[in-house]
Amino acid sequence: MKENLTKIIELGLEAGAEYVEIRAQKLFRTMLTMKDGVIEAAKEGLENGAAIRVLANGTWGFASVGSFNKTQLAEAVEKACKMAKATSRKVKVPIKLAETKTFEDKVTSKPRKNPAETPLAEKIQLASSINERVFSYDQRIKSCTVDYLDIMGTNYFINNEGTYIEQDKLYVWSRILATAKEGEIYAFAREEIGSTAGFEVFETETPQIVSERIAKRAVEQLKAKTPKGGIFPVVIGPNVVGVFVHEAFGHLAEADLTLSGSVLMDKIGKKVASDVVTVYDDGTIDGAFGSFKYDDEGVPAQKTLLIENGRVVGLMHSRETAHKFEAAPTGNVRAEDFRYEPIIRMRNTYMAPRDHSFEELLEDIRFGYYLKSFRGGQANLDGTFQVGIQEAYEIVNGEIGAPVRNASISGNTLETLKKVDAVGKDFELWPGRCGKGQIAFICDGGPHIRVREVLMGGAR
Amino acid sequence: MALDREEILSLCEKAVKVAERHGADEAEAYFCQTSRTAVGIERGQLAKSVSHIDQGLGIRAVYNKAVGFAYTNIVAEKAVEETAGKAVNSAKASQPDKDWKGFPDKRCLINVEETFDGKILELSSEELVNLATRMLDTALEMDKRVFVTDGEVESVYAAKALVNSYDVSNFDQGTFASCGLATLARDVNYVTPVCFEWDAKRTFEINPEHVGREAARLAVSALKAETVPTKPYTVVFAQVAMQLLLSYTLINAVKADYVQREQSALKGKIGERIASENVTVFDDGILKGGLRTWRFDDEGMERRRTAVMEKGVLKSFLYDNYRAKKEGVESTGNAYRGGAAPYMEVPAIEATNFRFAPGNKSADELVSEIDSGILVYFLQGAHSSNPVSGEFSVVAVPSWRIEKGEIKNAVKGAMLSGTVFDVLKNVSALANNERQVGALVAPWIRVENVKVIGR
Repeated sequence: MKENLTKIIELGLEAGAEYVEIRAQKLFRTMLTMKDGVIEAAKEGLENGAAIRVLANGTWGFASVGSFNKTQLAEAVEKACKMAKATSRKVKVPIKLAETKTFEDKVTSKPRKNPAETPLAEKIQLASSINERVFSYDQRIKSCTVDYLDIMGTNYFINNEGTYIEQDKLYVWSRILATAKEGEIYAFAREEIGSTAGFEVFETETPQIVSERIAKRAVEQLKAKTPKGGIFPVVIGPNVVGVFVHEAFGHLAEADLTLSGSVLMDKIGKKVASDVVTVYDDGTIDGAFGSFKYDDEGVPAQKTLLIENGRVVGLMHSRETAHKFEAAPTGNVRAEDFRYEPIIRMRNTYMAPRDHSFEELLEDIRFGYYLKSFRGGQANLDGTFQVGIQEAYEIVNGEIGAPVRNASISGNTLETLKKVDAVGKDFELWPGRCGKGQIAFICDGGPHIRVREVLMGGAR
Repeated sequence: MALDREEILSLCEKAVKVAERHGADEAEAYFCQTSRTAVGIERGQLAKSVSHIDQGLGIRAVYNKAVGFAYTNIVAEKAVEETAGKAVNSAKASQPDKDWKGFPDKRCLINVEETFDGKILELSSEELVNLATRMLDTALEMDKRVFVTDGEVESVYAAKALVNSYDVSNFDQGTFASCGLATLARDVNYVTPVCFEWDAKRTFEINPEHVGREAARLAVSALKAETVPTKPYTVVFAQVAMQLLLSYTLINAVKADYVQREQSALKGKIGERIASENVTVFDDGILKGGLRTWRFDDEGMERRRTAVMEKGVLKSFLYDNYRAKKEGVESTGNAYRGGAAPYMEVPAIEATNFRFAPGNKSADELVSEIDSGILVYFLQGAHSSNPVSGEFSVVAVPSWRIEKGEIKNAVKGAMLSGTVFDVLKNVSALANNERQVGALVAPWIRVENVKVIGR
């Protein structure tokens, strides 16, 4: 592989590029969807493809080819250079890359239970087992969908600076959706499982544990009230803290979005949150869904401090943005597969724990909400965020009260971060998938926290 | 390297035969090919060019009522034969589905119009650069406070083919051209939310200057945002906001799989009034120039026009072959394979061109009749709606206040909440400024009595 790719790199340099990289991939996927106990289709697939990226006259040229065919790759690199040069006639500020160390390495994944050697029938059995347990939890459960996906493969990264990395890919993922119905009330719950370790993730996230968590959540919503709309104190659980840190803050600290005008642009080095807030984006947690050794620019993943005691101290960088900020690349660049351009993505993003117990967080709230599990979240560059909540409870006189359904919170990220007044000592990390024009596997999390004022959307 | 129509169909036929030889009771091969060229704008300048070429084959094989699937993007005979074998093995490893009643039979296809334009195929990279430059420069010349975050001009060619054991042997091809620009505006102490404008067509009729001008105008008008008091308002939903709201609620609620699986609040409501009399919706799979128009759906059924709602009365759900046969009705041609590489997917039910019949007022007239309201362009958090009950609680950004019939300053951080079915019941008028975004083809839609939570 290396020899063939080296020739394509040379063609790119001859065609006038100042930088050339190729990311060739062999991918094997197994996917299945079970709806109410019926397998929709068990799917297996094989893909070859290469992504070529060149920098010519300070402008990117990207070409993706679903093949390893030498002639096609040669045409693609030439086309990428030609197009980049055509585009560069209008370039005002040429793109440059920060220097990085070069690496020659081979990274092999060592799952205890290899998904590739696990028979399809066992994966189907896993889905069946989750499905049966969800339905048998309560007769008000009306539907259950189990998705399963594993991706195995090898990534061959080479650039003209001397880096050549062969890196295995291994992802195991599952998502379970359940609905419950009683009278005219419909409830809906979802859960995701994800790992880069191996199929052994289902030994901790067993069908029993997972199915009970999700079925209970769906059924409890049936008797839940809808929240009052307005401003309330809230205690936020690790699962929702994670999505808040990721969606509301994390995206603003992706340096490409910071440069695109996120509210963080003029806040670097400044205080944006209360003293108790410290946030990391960490690509080095063993087996976590957002971990890897080298990113898709050949830069090693690292643990990046974003907020330290309320102050913004770092951003997540590509080589391009690192050059603009005169910073070092942080190993955050990923592409979903060879069809996509490598861009800045979060890895495992979390708020660091501190000193409060859960009871201490609740104790002085006379009326508020406990937000335990999220349904989705989204943010805008101006710092407006929204997080939908699938599992929430009232807090009445310092105690957890009645369940609440279809809640959501919103506000301005920086204003909200300043209102975090206590941070718990527990910690959880949850797997998920993040969309930024393409999907990346990530984790997010943190401890329980208390926020003095949050806008709750509600039907009452 | 691109294969022609005959080569594609013969490869698909080969795949079906090999699967049958491996013991499949029936088989289906779906092929798709895409080629896309784009010029990208990042942070105020042309920064990149992009080209994608991908093609692949997905094979469904049925063995004893169990369905297996395998795909490959290596479109050589040997790889295709191996893939067909894998599809059969996967069916054998799977479990029978008693409701499986076979792939669709051969159908007569309707010709579709304005879905292919040779001019799009001929666009050179220089021409794409020129279009992107015109769009960008128009936006930047409008106002100094405008900052362009990103944008793109693209041309796409796509082809698909479907062959199955029942003599279905279909081929279709199409083109797409689009341009879009995302902007924000910055004042001394304020950054607006991201605003955007776009133009997407099947033929080469995009207008980059209009997109640039409109994207800049929206951003500037989003400066000076103010909060609004909490109360019910008349809300005008622009197309993107309505598409976001409906994608996670109504559009799922009319899919037969959601209905059959008790995941739809519309189950059992065919013939009932579920929306205001002003609402008539067709899922039009053969809409002239529609962004989702094809001759056949992604399992070979002919595309058609299905009445979903007429004058507020629910008429039909959307079906694929499996869900239709389960209920003993005919598929509405809504089988769809999406994603970046559709050949990797098995079909699922999806709306095609989900079209709200337009009204006869202009957008200005629609707004001029409102005493106190909000015009909403985009919703944040729509994907967190309750997909079953249709309950939503979302942030409306960017949005603008309407007072005494005129669009005023932008609204800061307001939330909308309610259920999509109440929204449909309270539709008081539709304008005539129809356009398509995703599956939704609609004009601006005016809805009374929407709960807005301000500050």
